[in-house]
Amino acid sequence: MSRIPLYLKERIEEVNKRALLDSFESQKLPRWEKTAITWFALMIFWMVVSASFHWQNILIGSIVTFIVSLLMYDMFTGDIQSSGNVVIKTLRILLLYIPQYIFIMAFRLLESNLKVMKHAIFLDINPGIVKIDSDLHSQTGLTILANSITLTPGTMTIDTVRKLDESKLYVHWIDVETMDRDKAGSMIKGDIEEWLKNIFW
Amino acid sequence: MIEYVFLLLGVILMITGSIGVLRFPDVYTRLHASTKCDTGGAMSILIALTIVAEAPMLIKVKFLILAFLIAMINPMIAHAIARGAHKSGVEPEGIIDIYARDGF
Repeated sequence: MSRIPLYLKERIEEVNKRALLDSFESQKLPRWEKTAITWFALMIFWMVVSASFHWQNILIGSIVTFIVSLLMYDMFTGDIQSSGNVVIKTLRILLLYIPQYIFIMAFRLLESNLKVMKHAIFLDINPGIVKIDSDLHSQTGLTILANSITLTPGTMTIDTVRKLDESKLYVHWIDVETMDRDKAGSMIKGDIEEWLKNIFW
Repeated sequence: MIEYVFLLLGVILMITGSIGVLRFPDVYTRLHASTKCDTGGAMSILIALTIVAEAPMLIKVKFLILAFLIAMINPMIAHAIARGAHKSGVEPEGIIDIYARDGF
């Protein structure tokens, strides 16, 4: 690489960057699938919040949520990976991934509460801020990962840095056990990142 | 019977969070106590209310939506407070601070 002239090197880096961006773009869902998923989610939310099964209620709700989902289709679903049929994908997210996530996070939250109780009583803390890497590249996936890290025992996310091909998280750890980046990453993230990779790119 | 277990757990977690806020040394460790114990305590009290309330099913689901919103919003608030404190110059106690070393 050192033999290549400088202007050519910049050009090659630019082309590589564009190819990476294109590969991310090609993993996204097509537009009508995004609209359909948004419509479905908004319709469920409308039914629960309005709490009535009258036919006028359902008609008004479906019209209004369809207009909203035509406008807002990119907001929630722009980061979902495309793989397979859209109906199977939606059902799998609703019935398999979300209950799995709630089950994991409920026990993690209970464990973290008990750990804070122990730290508050005995005051045996050793705090510090460490940096870990992440393999997620989308905004929604990184946000959910940061929120999950905040709710798991002993850690709290302070800031995230997202670039095109690498993303980093700065984590406040109440009891620092290791400074090594890879080891700390696998200890802090656990199996949540593997779970999030099923849905987001 | 099980609703009393959830209510008692919620109250104990809230008290523990308050003790943690009083005893921990600086902003970041206090945020640990307030975020986690508030989220867990409020969610378990809401689950107890869901079991106790004499209402139709769709009304009970609204309590669960409240619990979901609390679980989504509480970590973001902690994140915002911690980042704001670091930007305005509050030094964290402890052995290492890579965030300041990286120049933020």
